Amino acid sequence: MKTLIKLFAVVTLAFTVQLSMGQISGTKHDFSTKGWNPSGEICIVCHTPHNAITGAEPLWNHELSTATYTVYSSSTMDATPGQPNGNSKLCLSCHDGTVAIDNFGGATGGSQFIGGNKNLGTDLSNDHPISFTYDAALAGTDGGLFDPTTTNSGLGGTITADMLFANEMQCASCHDVHDDTNGDFLVMSNAASALCLTCHNK
Amino acid sequence: MIPLKIKLTLLLLVPAWLFSQSIVTTVHNLSVSGPGTIKAVSESEICIFCHTPHNSSPSGPLWNRSDPGLNFTFYNSTTTEATIGQPDGASLLCLSCHDGTIALGSVLSRPAIIDFTAGITMMPVGNTNLTTDISDDHPVSFIYNSALAAADGELVDPVNLQWPVVLQNGKMQCTACHDPHTNIYTDFLVVTTQYSNLCNECHVKDYWLSSSHRNSNAGWNGSGNDPWFHTPFSTVSENACENCHNPHNAGRNQRLLNYLAEENNCLDCHNGNVASEDIKVQLNKPYNHNVYNYNLTHDASESALVLTKHVECEDCHNPHAARNLSASAPDVQGFNVGTIGINLSGGAVDPVQYEYEICFRCHADSPDKPASPTTRQIEQNNVRFEFDLSSPSFHPVAGPGTNPDVPSLIAPLTESSMIYCTDCHASDGTGSPAGPHGSVYPQILKFNYSTADYTVESYQAYELCYQCHDRSVIINPNGNEFQQDVHYTHIVEEDAPCNACHDPHGISSSQGNSTNNTHLINFDISIVRPIQQNKLRFEDQGSFAGRCYLRCHGKGHNPKSYN
Repeated sequence: MKTLIKLFAVVTLAFTVQLSMGQISGTKHDFSTKGWNPSGEICIVCHTPHNAITGAEPLWNHELSTATYTVYSSSTMDATPGQPNGNSKLCLSCHDGTVAIDNFGGATGGSQFIGGNKNLGTDLSNDHPISFTYDAALAGTDGGLFDPTTTNSGLGGTITADMLFANEMQCASCHDVHDDTNGDFLVMSNAASALCLTCHNK
Repeated sequence: MIPLKIKLTLLLLVPAWLFSQSIVTTVHNLSVSGPGTIKAVSESEICIFCHTPHNSSPSGPLWNRSDPGLNFTFYNSTTTEATIGQPDGASLLCLSCHDGTIALGSVLSRPAIIDFTAGITMMPVGNTNLTTDISDDHPVSFIYNSALAAADGELVDPVNLQWPVVLQNGKMQCTACHDPHTNIYTDFLVVTTQYSNLCNECHVKDYWLSSSHRNSNAGWNGSGNDPWFHTPFSTVSENACENCHNPHNAGRNQRLLNYLAEENNCLDCHNGNVASEDIKVQLNKPYNHNVYNYNLTHDASESALVLTKHVECEDCHNPHAARNLSASAPDVQGFNVGTIGINLSGGAVDPVQYEYEICFRCHADSPDKPASPTTRQIEQNNVRFEFDLSSPSFHPVAGPGTNPDVPSLIAPLTESSMIYCTDCHASDGTGSPAGPHGSVYPQILKFNYSTADYTVESYQAYELCYQCHDRSVIINPNGNEFQQDVHYTHIVEEDAPCNACHDPHGISSSQGNSTNNTHLINFDISIVRPIQQNKLRFEDQGSFAGRCYLRCHGKGHNPKSYN
């Protein structure tokens, strides 16, 4: 019996470690089995080791959107979101619905477009704001935000270190495109609104 | 290393309100971890009941709920200058739960309604369910700008509003008073309502700073209705506005009063249970200003001249102004300051300067005013005419009297003294509160005043008159001819009441004159009759001299003179 429990514990631990490390394989971002991706490669839809699109990192391989977006605004917001930039532009190269998913590797004229709730469109006013500077000053002005430079993200370091990109809030602040452990590719579980309350002092 | 047990103990020492700054520990945490009784069965996300990060509704910040319909019955009042319509902005967001028409668990980001415990779907009936009739709640969704403040006259100019009281796009919304995420002061208020601090952020009521309703530290003795049923506070000053007003689910919509019946807003305190004087017991006396008799006739916007007969406490009192501050006749006393009235010329005044101006609201030029109880030779029910300084004689209510020689006056009264209406018309009984609330005597007189013919003279019979006019002087059988032949003969020997010859208010100059109607002479014609057809009169012949033409008690004067 004791041996059985030990075995069970080891198996459970191993399973947990694998899950927590996360992997894109098998998630909705794994397009290796799609007919429009005859290479069967996973990474290729977004990345390429050579001849990547310049100005878009890392090693970007998907056609970028040229859309101009309607950005979020609110009378109670002290941040000033601009047009999406940084890694949010990469997400929107599929998720604004203007560029075919299969427009990668230099291909254009694809036919696969994102649908449903995942198509944010070019009107981002009904989506959480992105591409704005979130620093101690903003937190001080807003009063309803934690200071990102001193507040623990729950991911090991501060919010600034773990969740911001050049001090800016981006899609990747909440989403890890390579890991769907928490569902919706969230960087952490949102049970008890833990993700929201990492930044929002409500 | 601090042992865990001590750590936990230290944690308990931290005041609870520190935690209540987070929505997590408030009843707005509707998730399974919420502290309230209205909560989800298993949904763990807290923000989701209002917010979603994607595909939100444009109605609010990343809004995750449907809007309620725009079929609200909204606040209106005869005294508001604001233009109030259907709720919008943040208020509409609050109402998506608090109007009770949309399931609490109905959110845009979930395909099915989130289950709540105990089978709850909509906001349960109670104080937090405002319903779609929000006319009994503080108005929201109106433009609050400098022009409104100027037009109203009792509102802070919104450019001077102090955080955390904020407007949304220039409009007053629920969020001016409530922060749905933070519950430091209970009810998610942004500022405490103790001493009405929150109300005072916007409302600046005339006279309020010196009002007893702001400053009294009186408490409730525990008897009768709880006067502060909707607050956690226990003194008049702490309750302040909320002594009478209820910002939600008010008993009377207009002006958000606790109760529909006007007087009930006063009498939960003015019954001896909070205020020291029991006005309620006075109002239950047989002769009273019957505030119970009228409902919703009085209106705060009404004209100073009362056109539809009624009486309510606030016809004579301004609850924002009333204070315990004595004055000398004719100046208005503290209890009545800040009220509107009619002056001696018949014009409206706001506020009154003299107490009688309050009485003139109803007892002067008003239609349907009470009639004199005595049938007199000269009939006049407009007391403004009776007390006018042009009258041949009058009790000195609006100005000193005309008679320069009144030996019966009891010091410190002199011929130049003035008196209040309420010196005669007031609650009876030693130690009774001032003012004409109620009396066992007709005409709400403070003391007995017998008017029936053949009243046997006694101090008690004319106790009212004898308060100022010395009985031993008036009816001195050994006094001068006037005292003997006029007053002693008539009052003591003939058992004639004072009221038979004297009209205590005065005689209007439009009807009387300085020959026949000095000394308040205006005969009660049910007692005093003409000696011949149309021959009924008194003629003043100078100091303590005169003659009468009349028939009374079977005797004729044609004339009878004294000097």
